[in-house]
Amino acid sequence: MIAQDEEQKITTGADGTAVQLQAEAAAGGIGLPERRVRLLPYLLLAPAAAFLVFVHFIPMGVSLYMSTLKLNQGHLLEFLTAPFIGVQNFTYILFNPISPIRGQFLDAARNTVIYTVAVNAIMLLGGLTAAVLTTREFRGRGIVRTLLLMPWIVPTYVVGFLWGFMWQPDTGIVNHILHDMLHLPIRPFWIVGPLTMVAIVVPTAWRNFPQTMLMLSAGLAGIPADLYEAAEVDGASSWQRLRHITVPMLRPVIAVVTLFGIISTVYSFNVVFTMFGGGAGYAGDWGDVLTTMIFRNSFGQLNFGIGAAASVLLMLVCVGLVIIWYWTFREDLRAR
Amino acid sequence: MIGHVRIRRRSPRRSRLTPPQALLLGLIVVLTVFPIYWMVVSSLKTNFELLSGSNVSLLPDVLALQFRNYATMFQRLSLAIYIRNSLIICGTATLIAVALASLSGFSLAYFRFRGAGAYGVAVMATQLLPGIMFLLPMFLIFTQAQQLTGLQIVNTHQGLILLYVAFFMPLSIWILRGYFAAIPRELVEAAQVDGTSILGAFWRIVLPLSVPGLIATATYVFLTAWDELLFAVVMTQTADTQTIPVGIRGYIGEQASNYNLLMAAATAVCVPPALIFFFLQRQMVSGLTAGAVK
Repeated sequence: MIAQDEEQKITTGADGTAVQLQAEAAAGGIGLPERRVRLLPYLLLAPAAAFLVFVHFIPMGVSLYMSTLKLNQGHLLEFLTAPFIGVQNFTYILFNPISPIRGQFLDAARNTVIYTVAVNAIMLLGGLTAAVLTTREFRGRGIVRTLLLMPWIVPTYVVGFLWGFMWQPDTGIVNHILHDMLHLPIRPFWIVGPLTMVAIVVPTAWRNFPQTMLMLSAGLAGIPADLYEAAEVDGASSWQRLRHITVPMLRPVIAVVTLFGIISTVYSFNVVFTMFGGGAGYAGDWGDVLTTMIFRNSFGQLNFGIGAAASVLLMLVCVGLVIIWYWTFREDLRAR
Repeated sequence: MIGHVRIRRRSPRRSRLTPPQALLLGLIVVLTVFPIYWMVVSSLKTNFELLSGSNVSLLPDVLALQFRNYATMFQRLSLAIYIRNSLIICGTATLIAVALASLSGFSLAYFRFRGAGAYGVAVMATQLLPGIMFLLPMFLIFTQAQQLTGLQIVNTHQGLILLYVAFFMPLSIWILRGYFAAIPRELVEAAQVDGTSILGAFWRIVLPLSVPGLIATATYVFLTAWDELLFAVVMTQTADTQTIPVGIRGYIGEQASNYNLLMAAATAVCVPPALIFFFLQRQMVSGLTAGAVK
């Protein structure tokens, strides 16, 4: 997105003349007759637009409608005649103290927020550390950069299987290293109980931090070298340079990285889904996120109305986090 | 977008890595690479070794490596069919998505017209929709369409292709728009003066100049589709249409838990992304950093 803006700045110079030429073309000077020039851009957009309408906007409308229906039976195809119950699905999820769904939803919503914040914090910290360190001069720098990108080749559903296997309490390699090699007194239960959050956060951050690192590396390359030289002349320590030059200068990139990270983590499904029960299980009070909770209620319990309402609420959770994101980075966004 | 901004040297004399920094970087590299190493090592062990938990060791016993796991995994499940399905679905979706997105991207990059801004916003707004929100509606729309037309859509390759084209279209449009906008307009106009139509100029000048962008977009679509599980689980029901992420769960299903075969299949699944990574690293980086959202 940043480079996008830069490109726009670069092309505005050429734009002026181009627009003029196009006006001449439109007036019948050169090129195509006026009407076809006018219609052409729309014709080019049409196929992609059709896909967006039929696979994004219409289903979204259907989903909103379904969230107002009492739709909890297997006979799905009669959904057009299902009874309309207004906002009752929403009140059932959010406020009904005796509904089992409410507890599941609140757990999953809390977990989704913790998961998103933790994953993005680790990605940012790890990505920044790796990006800063790999700008230094050392032998084997190219190899190190390539190795740091490796998690990218692992599909996210494999990440869930692989780490689920590594977290096994008795046979997994993580507990082998912690207990047998580093002499931790206990073998922690990673995929049951409160540690479940760690078990899903670490793999997700591991899989996605290369992307953060690359974007921050590109951002680092854009910081003028004389800022660092001036700081060195003033006797600033490397920590001070990091805090007062690097991080402030990177804020616009951090903003973009964080927005991408928030949306992809809130809506992520594969890691949690495949880690528990080989893709059929329930991650428990501390690992269940909204996407898996909705999937289970829709396709396991066949509570389709509830599922639709919960997915609307999921979108609101994402929008809420994006608003907090906007509030945090509004100055940096305006500066661009 | 950021990937194709070349990383240039920050200063003529770059600071060197101090020993503590080298240690930290080394630790990060080990933590990053270890899980992949462990996946490959585990794929070469017997299932008994993996499940018994006795004498786990970080280094494998070189003489006891079970290369036959890579043959057994094909016998135990219809993995070959899952791989074929994934290749057909992801490959076709990539071609269609890139073709249609390049038309849209060209339109947005080259023309000024009413609604262009709104279209751009709508394209990006789709990224805020959770996939799970329209999973069930899509299933219903497909089944209704099947009843109306008599054409099979659910549990077919084309059903998933249709969905994947739509899912990865928005960011493809966005990436390609950026590449097209960076091509000097004078080139297109010169061709038009020479009597070529706008579409001719697009085909003969803009597209050939944007090959890196097209590859970046194609790698983004292919790899994201390769990774898609949610819709594949619901939209495919039989082995002849199921993709790898759906089928691969069979190794540790209710009757069996063959972790060694699962890890072998998992390693195999990483091969196409790895090949793309080694041969097209720069384009992949550019496509995936731009395609970070979904």
